[in-house]
Amino acid sequence: MPLVSRRPSGRTRRVARRWGRWIALVLVVIWSLFPLYWGLSTSLMSSGAADSLPVHYYPHPLYLSNYGQLLNLQHANLGTLPYQLRQSLLNSTIESVGTTVLTVFVAIFAAYAFARLEFRFKRIILVTTIATLLLPAYATLLPLYKLMTSWNLVNTYLGIILTNTSGFLPLAIWILYNYFQGLPKELEEAAFIDGARPLEALARVILPLSLPGIAAAAAVTFLFSWSQFLFPLILTTDLRSEPATVVIAALYGPRLVAFSLMAAAGMLAIAVPAALALLLNRYIVSGLTAGATK
Amino acid sequence: MRSQRQRLAYILLAPLALFIGALTLYPTAVTTVEAFFREYSLVNNHNFVGLKNFHDAFSTPAIRQSFVNTGIYVLSGTVLSVVLGIAFALLLRQRSRWRAPLLALVVLPWALPPVVEALLWSRIYDPTFGPLNGVLKSIGLISHNQVWLGSNRWEALVLIELVQVWQTTPLCVLLILAALQLIPSELYEAGAVDGASAWHGFRYITLPLLRPGITIAMVAAITASLNIFDQPYILTGDASASASVGVQTYLVSFQNLNFGEGYALSLIMTLATAAISLLVLRLVYRRVEF
Repeated sequence: MPLVSRRPSGRTRRVARRWGRWIALVLVVIWSLFPLYWGLSTSLMSSGAADSLPVHYYPHPLYLSNYGQLLNLQHANLGTLPYQLRQSLLNSTIESVGTTVLTVFVAIFAAYAFARLEFRFKRIILVTTIATLLLPAYATLLPLYKLMTSWNLVNTYLGIILTNTSGFLPLAIWILYNYFQGLPKELEEAAFIDGARPLEALARVILPLSLPGIAAAAAVTFLFSWSQFLFPLILTTDLRSEPATVVIAALYGPRLVAFSLMAAAGMLAIAVPAALALLLNRYIVSGLTAGATK
Repeated sequence: MRSQRQRLAYILLAPLALFIGALTLYPTAVTTVEAFFREYSLVNNHNFVGLKNFHDAFSTPAIRQSFVNTGIYVLSGTVLSVVLGIAFALLLRQRSRWRAPLLALVVLPWALPPVVEALLWSRIYDPTFGPLNGVLKSIGLISHNQVWLGSNRWEALVLIELVQVWQTTPLCVLLILAALQLIPSELYEAGAVDGASAWHGFRYITLPLLRPGITIAMVAAITASLNIFDQPYILTGDASASASVGVQTYLVSFQNLNFGEGYALSLIMTLATAAISLLVLRLVYRRVEF
Protein backbone atom coordinates (compact mmCIF):
# COMPACT_ATOMS: atom_id res chain seq x y z
CA MET A 1 0.00 0.00 0.00
CA PRO A 2 2.66 2.62 0.85
CA LEU A 3 4.48 1.67 -2.33
CA VAL A 4 1.40 2.42 -4.45
CA SER A 5 0.71 5.75 -2.81
CA ARG A 6 4.29 6.86 -3.33
CA ARG A 7 4.22 6.28 -7.05
CA PRO A 8 2.62 9.53 -8.25
CA SER A 9 4.79 11.70 -6.03
CA GLY A 10 7.88 9.95 -7.36
CA ARG A 11 6.72 10.71 -10.88
CA THR A 12 6.00 14.37 -10.22
CA ARG A 13 9.40 14.63 -8.64
CA ARG A 14 11.02 13.17 -11.72
CA VAL A 15 9.06 15.53 -13.98
CA ALA A 16 9.98 18.49 -11.79
CA ARG A 17 13.63 17.48 -11.85
CA ARG A 18 13.56 17.20 -15.63
CA TRP A 19 12.00 20.63 -15.99
CA GLY A 20 14.48 22.05 -13.51
CA ARG A 21 17.33 20.64 -15.58
CA TRP A 22 15.99 22.19 -18.77
CA ILE A 23 15.48 25.57 -17.13
CA ALA A 24 19.03 25.42 -15.76
CA LEU A 25 20.38 24.53 -19.22
CA VAL A 26 18.53 27.48 -20.76
CA LEU A 27 20.14 29.74 -18.13
CA VAL A 28 23.57 28.30 -19.01
CA VAL A 29 22.99 29.11 -22.69
CA ILE A 30 21.79 32.65 -21.84
CA TRP A 31 24.89 33.19 -19.69
CA SER A 32 27.14 31.95 -22.51
CA LEU A 33 25.52 33.92 -25.33
CA PHE A 34 23.95 37.05 -23.84
CA PRO A 35 27.03 39.35 -24.07
CA LEU A 36 27.53 38.22 -27.67
CA TYR A 37 23.86 38.75 -28.47
CA TRP A 38 23.96 42.19 -26.89
CA GLY A 39 27.02 43.20 -28.92
CA LEU A 40 25.51 41.87 -32.15
CA SER A 41 22.22 43.60 -31.45
CA THR A 42 23.90 46.94 -30.70
CA SER A 43 26.08 46.64 -33.80
CA LEU A 44 22.89 46.49 -35.87
CA MET A 45 21.59 49.82 -34.52
CA SER A 46 22.43 53.35 -35.55
CA SER A 47 24.38 55.20 -32.88
CA GLY A 48 21.26 57.30 -32.26
CA ALA A 49 19.13 54.22 -31.62
CA ALA A 50 21.80 52.50 -29.52
CA ASP A 51 22.37 55.55 -27.33
CA SER A 52 18.76 56.34 -26.55
CA LEU A 53 16.34 55.48 -23.77
CA PRO A 54 14.53 53.29 -23.01
CA VAL A 55 17.16 50.64 -23.74
CA HIS A 56 16.45 48.69 -26.94
CA TYR A 57 16.59 44.94 -26.39
CA TYR A 58 16.72 44.14 -30.11
CA PRO A 59 17.49 46.18 -33.23
CA HIS A 60 14.46 47.52 -35.03
CA PRO A 61 14.75 48.36 -37.86
CA LEU A 62 17.95 46.48 -38.75
CA TYR A 63 20.70 49.01 -39.44
CA LEU A 64 23.54 47.55 -41.51
CA SER A 65 25.43 50.76 -42.08
CA ASN A 66 28.00 50.21 -39.26
CA TYR A 67 29.26 47.16 -41.14
CA GLY A 68 28.91 48.90 -44.51
CA GLN A 69 31.09 51.77 -43.33
CA LEU A 70 33.72 49.59 -41.66
CA LEU A 71 34.01 47.30 -44.67
CA ASN A 72 34.19 50.28 -47.03
CA LEU A 73 31.06 49.15 -48.85
CA GLN A 74 29.57 52.60 -48.43
CA HIS A 75 30.99 56.04 -48.02
CA ALA A 76 31.94 56.83 -44.45
CA ASN A 77 33.19 59.80 -42.55
CA LEU A 78 35.41 57.73 -40.33
CA GLY A 79 38.87 58.78 -41.51
CA THR A 80 41.32 55.89 -41.53
CA LEU A 81 39.28 53.75 -39.11
CA PRO A 82 37.95 51.28 -41.74
CA TYR A 83 41.44 50.90 -43.18
CA GLN A 84 42.94 50.32 -39.71
CA LEU A 85 40.39 47.65 -38.91
CA ARG A 86 40.74 45.81 -42.22
CA GLN A 87 44.53 45.90 -42.16
CA SER A 88 44.59 44.67 -38.55
CA LEU A 89 42.23 41.79 -39.39
CA LEU A 90 44.56 40.83 -42.23
CA ASN A 91 47.50 41.01 -39.78
CA SER A 92 45.64 38.82 -37.25
CA THR A 93 44.96 36.28 -39.99
CA ILE A 94 48.56 36.14 -41.22
CA GLU A 95 49.98 35.94 -37.68
CA SER A 96 47.51 33.28 -36.54
CA VAL A 97 47.91 31.11 -39.64
CA GLY A 98 51.70 31.51 -39.51
CA THR A 99 51.82 30.59 -35.82
CA THR A 100 49.54 27.59 -36.34
CA VAL A 101 51.54 26.15 -39.25
CA LEU A 102 54.90 26.62 -37.53
CA THR A 103 53.67 25.34 -34.15
CA VAL A 104 52.01 22.21 -35.53
CA PHE A 105 55.00 21.46 -37.75
CA VAL A 106 57.51 21.65 -34.88
CA ALA A 107 55.11 19.89 -32.48
CA ILE A 108 54.55 16.86 -34.76
CA PHE A 109 58.28 16.02 -34.82
CA ALA A 110 58.77 16.64 -31.12
CA ALA A 111 55.65 14.70 -30.11
CA TYR A 112 56.69 11.77 -32.33
CA ALA A 113 60.13 11.66 -30.70
CA PHE A 114 58.57 11.72 -27.21
CA ALA A 115 55.92 9.12 -28.05
CA ARG A 116 57.92 6.62 -30.10
CA LEU A 117 61.70 7.02 -29.79
CA GLU A 118 63.97 6.10 -26.90
CA PHE A 119 66.71 8.53 -26.03
CA ARG A 120 68.66 9.84 -23.10
CA PHE A 121 67.10 12.63 -20.97
CA LYS A 122 63.72 11.99 -22.61
CA ARG A 123 61.73 12.33 -19.42
CA ILE A 124 63.46 15.48 -18.25
CA ILE A 125 63.08 17.18 -21.66
CA LEU A 126 59.38 16.27 -21.80
CA VAL A 127 58.70 17.43 -18.24
CA THR A 128 60.60 20.70 -18.79
CA THR A 129 58.62 21.37 -21.97
CA ILE A 130 55.26 20.72 -20.33
CA ALA A 131 56.25 22.62 -17.16
CA THR A 132 56.70 25.81 -19.19
CA LEU A 133 52.89 25.79 -19.51
CA LEU A 134 52.90 27.10 -15.93
CA LEU A 135 55.08 30.11 -16.82
CA PRO A 136 53.02 33.30 -17.13
CA ALA A 137 53.54 35.78 -19.97
CA TYR A 138 55.39 38.08 -17.55
CA ALA A 139 58.23 35.57 -17.14
CA THR A 140 59.38 36.32 -20.68
CA LEU A 141 57.71 39.66 -21.48
CA LEU A 142 60.53 42.18 -21.00
CA PRO A 143 63.43 39.98 -22.21
CA LEU A 144 61.46 39.03 -25.35
CA TYR A 145 60.79 42.71 -26.00
CA LYS A 146 64.55 43.36 -25.78
CA LEU A 147 65.42 40.32 -27.92
CA MET A 148 62.91 41.26 -30.62
CA THR A 149 64.18 44.84 -30.58
CA SER A 150 67.79 43.74 -30.99
CA TRP A 151 66.82 41.32 -33.76
CA ASN A 152 64.88 44.08 -35.55
CA LEU A 153 61.70 42.00 -35.29
CA VAL A 154 59.48 44.67 -33.71
CA ASN A 155 56.65 45.52 -36.12
CA THR A 156 57.13 42.36 -38.14
CA TYR A 157 54.94 39.30 -38.61
CA LEU A 158 57.93 37.09 -37.82
CA GLY A 159 58.41 38.67 -34.38
CA ILE A 160 54.81 37.92 -33.42
CA ILE A 161 54.84 34.43 -34.96
CA LEU A 162 58.06 33.41 -33.16
CA THR A 163 56.80 34.76 -29.83
CA ASN A 164 53.43 33.03 -30.21
CA THR A 165 55.01 29.74 -31.26
CA SER A 166 57.30 29.63 -28.23
CA GLY A 167 54.26 30.14 -26.02
CA PHE A 168 51.89 27.65 -27.63
CA LEU A 169 54.29 24.82 -28.54
CA PRO A 170 54.06 23.00 -25.18
CA LEU A 171 50.28 22.57 -25.36
CA ALA A 172 50.40 21.49 -29.02
CA ILE A 173 53.09 18.93 -28.16
CA TRP A 174 51.08 17.70 -25.18
CA ILE A 175 47.96 17.23 -27.37
CA LEU A 176 49.86 15.38 -30.13
CA TYR A 177 51.95 13.35 -27.67
CA ASN A 178 48.77 12.05 -26.03
CA TYR A 179 47.24 11.37 -29.42
CA PHE A 180 50.26 9.47 -30.78
CA GLN A 181 50.45 7.41 -27.60
CA GLY A 182 46.88 6.28 -28.14
CA LEU A 183 47.72 4.79 -31.54
CA PRO A 184 48.61 1.07 -31.63
CA LYS A 185 52.32 0.45 -32.21
CA GLU A 186 51.63 -2.64 -34.34
CA LEU A 187 50.78 -0.52 -37.39
CA GLU A 188 54.23 1.07 -37.49
CA GLU A 189 55.94 -2.21 -36.71
CA ALA A 190 54.36 -3.65 -39.85
CA ALA A 191 55.81 -0.73 -41.79
CA PHE A 192 59.23 -1.30 -40.17
CA ILE A 193 59.17 -4.92 -41.28
CA ASP A 194 58.57 -3.64 -44.81
CA GLY A 195 61.80 -1.68 -44.42
CA ALA A 196 60.38 1.75 -43.62
CA ARG A 197 62.47 4.24 -41.64
CA PRO A 198 60.98 6.00 -38.60
CA LEU A 199 60.24 9.22 -40.52
CA GLU A 200 58.53 7.23 -43.27
CA ALA A 201 56.43 5.47 -40.67
CA LEU A 202 55.52 8.87 -39.21
CA ALA A 203 54.51 10.26 -42.61
CA ARG A 204 52.73 7.19 -43.99
CA VAL A 205 51.24 5.51 -40.94
CA ILE A 206 50.94 7.91 -38.04
CA LEU A 207 50.04 11.22 -39.66
CA PRO A 208 47.10 9.93 -41.72
CA LEU A 209 45.64 8.42 -38.53
CA SER A 210 46.31 11.55 -36.49
CA LEU A 211 44.24 14.11 -38.37
CA PRO A 212 41.83 14.60 -35.41
CA GLY A 213 44.78 15.22 -33.07
CA ILE A 214 46.42 17.59 -35.55
CA ALA A 215 43.09 19.42 -35.98
CA ALA A 216 42.84 19.77 -32.19
CA ALA A 217 46.36 21.16 -31.84
CA ALA A 218 45.88 23.50 -34.83
CA ALA A 219 42.48 24.83 -33.70
CA VAL A 220 43.63 25.55 -30.15
CA THR A 221 46.83 27.23 -31.38
CA PHE A 222 44.94 29.36 -33.90
CA LEU A 223 42.44 30.55 -31.28
CA PHE A 224 45.20 31.39 -28.79
CA SER A 225 47.06 33.38 -31.47
CA TRP A 226 43.97 35.31 -32.53
CA SER A 227 43.28 36.28 -28.90
CA GLN A 228 46.81 37.51 -28.12
CA PHE A 229 46.96 41.03 -26.78
CA LEU A 230 49.79 41.75 -24.31
CA PHE A 231 52.69 40.60 -26.51
CA PRO A 232 51.43 42.30 -29.70
CA LEU A 233 50.83 45.43 -27.61
CA ILE A 234 54.55 45.72 -26.89
CA LEU A 235 55.87 44.15 -30.11
CA THR A 236 53.91 46.30 -32.57
CA THR A 237 53.60 50.05 -32.94
CA ASP A 238 51.93 50.41 -36.32
CA LEU A 239 49.74 48.71 -38.88
CA ARG A 240 52.60 46.74 -40.41
CA SER A 241 51.84 44.05 -37.83
CA GLU A 242 49.24 45.30 -35.29
CA PRO A 243 46.56 42.60 -34.89
CA ALA A 244 42.85 43.38 -34.47
CA THR A 245 42.99 43.10 -30.66
CA VAL A 246 45.55 45.94 -30.43
CA VAL A 247 43.73 48.19 -32.91
CA ILE A 248 40.36 47.66 -31.23
CA ALA A 249 41.84 48.42 -27.81
CA ALA A 250 43.41 51.61 -29.17
CA LEU A 251 40.13 52.70 -30.80
CA TYR A 252 38.08 51.93 -27.70
CA GLY A 253 40.51 53.41 -25.16
CA PRO A 254 39.70 57.11 -25.59
CA ARG A 255 35.94 56.35 -25.89
CA LEU A 256 35.64 58.62 -28.95
CA VAL A 257 34.01 56.15 -31.37
CA ALA A 258 30.24 55.52 -31.06
CA PHE A 259 29.63 52.23 -29.26
CA SER A 260 27.43 50.75 -32.01
CA LEU A 261 30.35 51.16 -34.41
CA MET A 262 32.79 49.68 -31.85
CA ALA A 263 30.41 46.75 -31.43
CA ALA A 264 30.39 46.17 -35.19
CA ALA A 265 34.21 46.26 -35.19
CA GLY A 266 34.19 43.77 -32.31
CA MET A 267 31.82 41.46 -34.19
CA LEU A 268 34.12 41.54 -37.22
CA ALA A 269 37.07 40.69 -34.95
CA ILE A 270 35.34 37.66 -33.43
CA ALA A 271 33.74 36.34 -36.63
CA VAL A 272 36.67 34.09 -37.56
CA PRO A 273 37.35 32.55 -34.11
CA ALA A 274 33.61 32.17 -33.42
CA ALA A 275 33.06 30.31 -36.70
CA LEU A 276 36.11 28.15 -36.05
CA ALA A 277 35.02 27.37 -32.49
CA LEU A 278 31.57 26.26 -33.63
CA LEU A 279 32.81 24.24 -36.63
CA LEU A 280 35.77 22.55 -34.92
CA ASN A 281 34.16 22.27 -31.49
CA ARG A 282 34.75 18.52 -31.25
CA TYR A 283 38.50 18.94 -31.81
CA ILE A 284 38.78 21.90 -29.45
CA VAL A 285 37.12 19.90 -26.68
CA SER A 286 39.46 16.96 -27.23
CA GLY A 287 42.47 19.29 -27.43
CA LEU A 288 41.72 21.12 -24.20
CA THR A 289 41.09 17.91 -22.28
CA ALA A 290 44.08 16.01 -23.71
CA GLY A 291 45.63 14.02 -20.90
CA ALA A 292 43.35 15.75 -18.37
CA THR A 293 41.91 12.42 -17.30
CA LYS A 294 45.18 10.96 -16.09
CA MET B 1 70.28 1.20 -35.01
CA ARG B 2 69.72 2.36 -31.45
CA SER B 3 72.23 5.21 -31.68
CA GLN B 4 70.81 6.12 -35.07
CA ARG B 5 67.34 6.45 -33.55
CA GLN B 6 68.75 8.41 -30.68
CA ARG B 7 70.34 10.81 -33.13
CA LEU B 8 67.05 11.07 -35.03
CA ALA B 9 65.28 11.93 -31.78
CA TYR B 10 67.65 14.79 -31.10
CA ILE B 11 67.27 16.09 -34.66
CA LEU B 12 63.48 16.01 -34.31
CA LEU B 13 63.69 17.83 -30.98
CA ALA B 14 66.15 20.50 -32.17
CA PRO B 15 63.50 23.04 -33.27
CA LEU B 16 61.65 22.59 -29.97
CA ALA B 17 64.87 23.06 -28.02
CA LEU B 18 65.59 26.22 -29.97
CA PHE B 19 62.17 27.72 -29.27
CA ILE B 20 61.91 26.70 -25.63
CA GLY B 21 65.57 27.45 -24.95
CA ALA B 22 65.92 30.79 -26.72
CA LEU B 23 62.41 32.21 -26.34
CA THR B 24 61.18 30.75 -23.03
CA LEU B 25 63.91 29.46 -20.70
CA TYR B 26 66.57 32.05 -21.55
CA PRO B 27 64.15 35.01 -21.17
CA THR B 28 62.87 33.57 -17.88
CA ALA B 29 66.45 33.37 -16.63
CA VAL B 30 67.06 36.96 -17.76
CA THR B 31 63.97 38.13 -15.84
CA THR B 32 65.21 36.29 -12.74
CA VAL B 33 68.65 37.87 -12.87
CA GLU B 34 67.73 41.36 -14.05
CA ALA B 35 65.25 41.83 -11.20
CA PHE B 36 68.29 42.36 -8.97
CA PHE B 37 70.04 44.87 -11.22
CA ARG B 38 69.38 48.52 -11.82
CA GLU B 39 68.21 49.03 -15.33
CA TYR B 40 66.44 51.84 -17.08
CA SER B 41 65.87 51.23 -20.75
CA LEU B 42 67.05 54.76 -21.62
CA VAL B 43 70.03 55.11 -19.30
CA ASN B 44 72.08 52.00 -19.75
CA ASN B 45 73.79 51.70 -16.41
CA HIS B 46 73.73 48.20 -15.14
CA ASN B 47 74.79 47.32 -11.63
CA PHE B 48 73.73 44.96 -8.90
CA VAL B 49 71.27 46.60 -6.52
CA GLY B 50 69.99 43.62 -4.52
CA LEU B 51 66.37 44.00 -3.51
CA LYS B 52 66.16 47.70 -4.39
CA ASN B 53 63.79 47.16 -7.35
CA PHE B 54 61.45 45.18 -5.13
CA HIS B 55 61.68 47.79 -2.40
CA ASP B 56 61.01 50.64 -4.82
CA ALA B 57 58.07 48.82 -6.35
CA PHE B 58 56.49 48.14 -2.98
CA SER B 59 56.94 51.71 -1.82
CA THR B 60 54.60 52.82 -4.64
CA PRO B 61 51.02 52.84 -3.25
CA ALA B 62 49.47 52.02 -6.66
CA ILE B 63 51.61 48.88 -6.93
CA ARG B 64 50.80 47.77 -3.38
CA GLN B 65 47.15 48.27 -4.25
CA SER B 66 47.53 46.17 -7.41
CA PHE B 67 48.57 43.20 -5.27
CA VAL B 68 45.38 43.50 -3.22
CA ASN B 69 43.37 43.86 -6.44
CA THR B 70 45.00 40.77 -7.90
CA GLY B 71 44.21 38.87 -4.70
CA ILE B 72 40.52 39.74 -5.15
CA TYR B 73 40.68 38.73 -8.82
CA VAL B 74 42.21 35.35 -7.92
CA LEU B 75 39.83 34.60 -5.06
CA SER B 76 36.61 35.59 -6.80
CA GLY B 77 37.75 34.22 -10.17
CA THR B 78 38.80 30.80 -8.88
CA VAL B 79 35.71 30.27 -6.71
CA LEU B 80 33.27 31.39 -9.43
CA SER B 81 34.94 29.54 -12.33
CA VAL B 82 35.26 26.27 -10.44
CA VAL B 83 31.76 26.35 -8.89
CA LEU B 84 30.17 27.28 -12.23
CA GLY B 85 32.39 24.70 -13.91
CA ILE B 86 31.13 21.92 -11.63
CA ALA B 87 27.49 23.05 -11.97
CA PHE B 88 27.59 23.30 -15.78
CA ALA B 89 29.44 19.99 -16.09
CA LEU B 90 26.82 18.20 -13.94
CA LEU B 91 24.08 19.67 -16.15
CA LEU B 92 25.86 18.59 -19.34
CA ARG B 93 26.72 15.16 -18.00
CA GLN B 94 23.78 13.27 -19.47
CA ARG B 95 24.37 12.04 -22.99
CA SER B 96 21.72 13.27 -25.40
CA ARG B 97 21.56 14.61 -28.90
CA TRP B 98 21.51 18.11 -27.40
CA ARG B 99 24.81 17.76 -25.62
CA ALA B 100 27.21 18.40 -28.51
CA PRO B 101 25.47 21.61 -29.70
CA LEU B 102 25.06 22.83 -26.11
CA LEU B 103 28.73 22.20 -25.44
CA ALA B 104 29.67 24.14 -28.58
CA LEU B 105 27.74 27.18 -27.32
CA VAL B 106 29.14 26.86 -23.81
CA VAL B 107 32.73 26.73 -25.12
CA LEU B 108 32.27 29.82 -27.32
CA PRO B 109 33.31 32.49 -24.74
CA TRP B 110 36.60 30.63 -24.19
CA ALA B 111 37.45 30.84 -27.89
CA LEU B 112 37.13 34.60 -28.38
CA PRO B 113 39.65 37.40 -27.73
CA PRO B 114 39.31 38.80 -24.17
CA VAL B 115 39.85 42.32 -25.55
CA VAL B 116 36.62 42.14 -27.55
CA GLU B 117 34.80 40.36 -24.73
CA ALA B 118 35.73 43.14 -22.31
CA LEU B 119 34.49 45.67 -24.88
CA LEU B 120 31.12 43.87 -25.07
CA TRP B 121 30.82 43.58 -21.28
CA SER B 122 31.64 47.26 -20.83
CA ARG B 123 28.34 47.96 -22.55
CA ILE B 124 26.49 45.58 -20.25
CA TYR B 125 27.84 47.53 -17.26
CA ASP B 126 27.14 50.90 -18.93
CA PRO B 127 25.38 53.11 -16.34
CA THR B 128 22.95 54.64 -18.86
CA PHE B 129 22.40 52.18 -21.70
CA GLY B 130 23.53 48.92 -20.08
CA PRO B 131 21.15 45.99 -19.73
CA LEU B 132 22.46 45.19 -16.22
CA ASN B 133 20.83 48.33 -14.80
CA GLY B 134 17.80 47.74 -17.03
CA VAL B 135 17.23 44.19 -15.80
CA LEU B 136 17.92 44.95 -12.13
CA LYS B 137 15.55 47.91 -12.24
CA SER B 138 12.77 45.97 -13.93
CA ILE B 139 12.87 43.22 -11.29
CA GLY B 140 13.01 45.86 -8.56
CA LEU B 141 16.46 45.10 -7.11
CA ILE B 142 17.66 48.68 -7.64
CA SER B 143 15.61 51.87 -7.89
CA HIS B 144 17.95 53.96 -10.03
CA ASN B 145 20.92 53.41 -12.34
CA GLN B 146 24.22 52.39 -10.76
CA VAL B 147 27.72 53.25 -11.97
CA TRP B 148 29.09 49.72 -11.90
CA LEU B 149 32.80 50.16 -12.58
CA GLY B 150 33.40 53.42 -10.78
CA SER B 151 31.79 53.92 -7.42
CA ASN B 152 32.56 50.84 -5.31
CA ARG B 153 36.08 49.44 -5.71
CA TRP B 154 35.35 45.90 -4.45
CA GLU B 155 32.25 45.64 -6.61
CA ALA B 156 34.22 46.86 -9.64
CA LEU B 157 36.94 44.25 -9.04
CA VAL B 158 34.44 41.39 -8.92
CA LEU B 159 32.59 42.68 -12.00
CA ILE B 160 35.85 42.94 -13.97
CA GLU B 161 36.77 39.44 -12.84
CA LEU B 162 33.32 38.24 -13.90
CA VAL B 163 34.26 39.08 -17.50
CA GLN B 164 37.26 36.78 -17.13
CA VAL B 165 35.16 34.14 -15.37
CA TRP B 166 32.89 34.20 -18.40
CA GLN B 167 35.91 33.25 -20.51
CA THR B 168 37.57 30.77 -18.12
CA THR B 169 34.48 28.82 -17.03
CA PRO B 170 34.16 26.87 -20.32
CA LEU B 171 37.65 25.45 -19.84
CA CYS B 172 36.76 24.43 -16.27
CA VAL B 173 33.54 22.82 -17.57
CA LEU B 174 35.48 20.74 -20.10
CA LEU B 175 38.12 19.64 -17.60
CA ILE B 176 35.55 18.68 -14.96
CA LEU B 177 33.23 17.04 -17.50
CA ALA B 178 36.13 14.88 -18.70
CA ALA B 179 36.71 13.67 -15.13
CA LEU B 180 32.97 13.24 -14.55
CA GLN B 181 32.62 10.87 -17.47
CA LEU B 182 35.18 8.51 -15.98
CA ILE B 183 33.03 7.83 -12.90
CA PRO B 184 31.33 4.45 -13.45
CA SER B 185 27.53 4.62 -13.10
CA GLU B 186 27.58 1.37 -11.04
CA LEU B 187 28.85 3.41 -8.11
CA TYR B 188 25.65 5.45 -8.09
CA GLU B 189 23.51 2.32 -8.51
CA ALA B 190 25.28 0.78 -5.53
CA GLY B 191 24.69 4.00 -3.61
CA ALA B 192 20.99 4.01 -4.53
CA VAL B 193 20.63 0.45 -3.24
CA ASP B 194 22.10 1.61 0.05
CA GLY B 195 19.51 4.41 0.13
CA ALA B 196 21.82 7.33 -0.68
CA SER B 197 20.07 10.55 -1.74
CA ALA B 198 21.13 12.59 -4.77
CA TRP B 199 23.00 14.97 -2.46
CA HIS B 200 24.79 12.09 -0.76
CA GLY B 201 25.71 10.70 -4.17
CA PHE B 202 27.22 14.05 -5.12
CA ARG B 203 28.96 14.59 -1.79
CA TYR B 204 30.40 11.09 -1.28
CA ILE B 205 30.79 9.72 -4.80
CA THR B 206 31.01 12.55 -7.37
CA LEU B 207 33.01 15.15 -5.47
CA PRO B 208 35.83 12.89 -4.20
CA LEU B 209 36.24 11.22 -7.60
CA LEU B 210 36.24 14.60 -9.35
CA ARG B 211 39.32 15.77 -7.48
CA PRO B 212 41.78 15.39 -10.38
CA GLY B 213 39.47 17.35 -12.72
CA ILE B 214 38.78 20.03 -10.11
CA THR B 215 42.51 20.38 -9.42
CA ILE B 216 43.36 21.08 -13.06
CA ALA B 217 40.39 23.45 -13.37
CA MET B 218 41.59 25.31 -10.27
CA VAL B 219 45.11 25.63 -11.65
CA ALA B 220 43.69 26.95 -14.94
CA ALA B 221 41.48 29.49 -13.13
CA ILE B 222 44.26 30.59 -10.77
CA THR B 223 46.86 31.12 -13.50
CA ALA B 224 44.33 33.06 -15.60
CA SER B 225 43.20 35.36 -12.79
CA LEU B 226 46.66 35.84 -11.28
CA ASN B 227 47.92 37.09 -14.64
CA ILE B 228 44.79 39.03 -15.60
CA PHE B 229 45.60 41.92 -17.96
CA ASP B 230 43.21 42.39 -20.89
CA GLN B 231 39.99 42.84 -18.91
CA PRO B 232 41.10 45.58 -16.46
CA TYR B 233 43.18 47.24 -19.22
CA ILE B 234 40.12 47.55 -21.48
CA LEU B 235 37.48 48.19 -18.81
CA THR B 236 39.28 50.69 -16.56
CA GLY B 237 42.56 51.48 -18.37
CA ASP B 238 45.37 52.61 -16.09
CA ALA B 239 43.10 53.44 -13.13
CA SER B 240 45.01 52.08 -10.15
CA ALA B 241 41.79 51.29 -8.22
CA SER B 242 41.33 48.15 -10.34
CA ALA B 243 44.74 47.65 -12.01
CA SER B 244 46.18 44.15 -11.58
CA VAL B 245 49.86 43.46 -10.97
CA GLY B 246 50.00 42.61 -14.68
CA VAL B 247 48.67 46.03 -15.66
CA GLN B 248 51.12 47.73 -13.27
CA THR B 249 54.00 45.66 -14.69
CA TYR B 250 53.09 46.93 -18.16
CA LEU B 251 52.71 50.55 -17.00
CA VAL B 252 55.92 50.57 -14.96
CA SER B 253 57.90 49.06 -17.85
CA PHE B 254 56.45 50.77 -20.89
CA GLN B 255 55.05 54.03 -19.54
CA ASN B 256 57.57 54.85 -16.82
CA LEU B 257 60.30 52.95 -18.70
CA ASN B 258 61.50 51.54 -15.38
CA PHE B 259 62.52 48.07 -16.51
CA GLY B 260 64.20 47.27 -13.19
CA GLU B 261 60.91 47.43 -11.31
CA GLY B 262 59.19 45.75 -14.27
CA TYR B 263 61.57 42.79 -13.93
CA ALA B 264 60.99 42.65 -10.17
CA LEU B 265 57.20 42.55 -10.62
CA SER B 266 57.54 39.99 -13.44
CA LEU B 267 59.63 37.73 -11.22
CA ILE B 268 57.07 37.96 -8.40
CA MET B 269 54.29 37.03 -10.82
CA THR B 270 56.28 34.11 -12.21
CA LEU B 271 57.15 32.71 -8.79
CA ALA B 272 53.61 33.25 -7.46
CA THR B 273 52.07 31.44 -10.44
CA ALA B 274 54.41 28.47 -10.13
CA ALA B 275 54.21 28.28 -6.33
CA ILE B 276 50.42 28.52 -6.08
CA SER B 277 49.89 26.05 -8.93
CA LEU B 278 52.23 23.50 -7.33
CA LEU B 279 50.62 24.07 -3.93
CA VAL B 280 47.14 23.43 -5.37
CA LEU B 281 48.41 20.31 -7.15
CA ARG B 282 49.84 19.07 -3.85
CA LEU B 283 46.89 19.91 -1.62
CA VAL B 284 43.89 19.20 -3.82
CA TYR B 285 45.04 16.50 -6.21
CA ARG B 286 44.37 12.88 -5.28
CA ARG B 287 44.96 10.05 -7.65
CA VAL B 288 41.71 8.14 -8.08
CA GLU B 289 41.36 4.55 -9.26
CA PHE B 290 38.15 2.97 -10.44
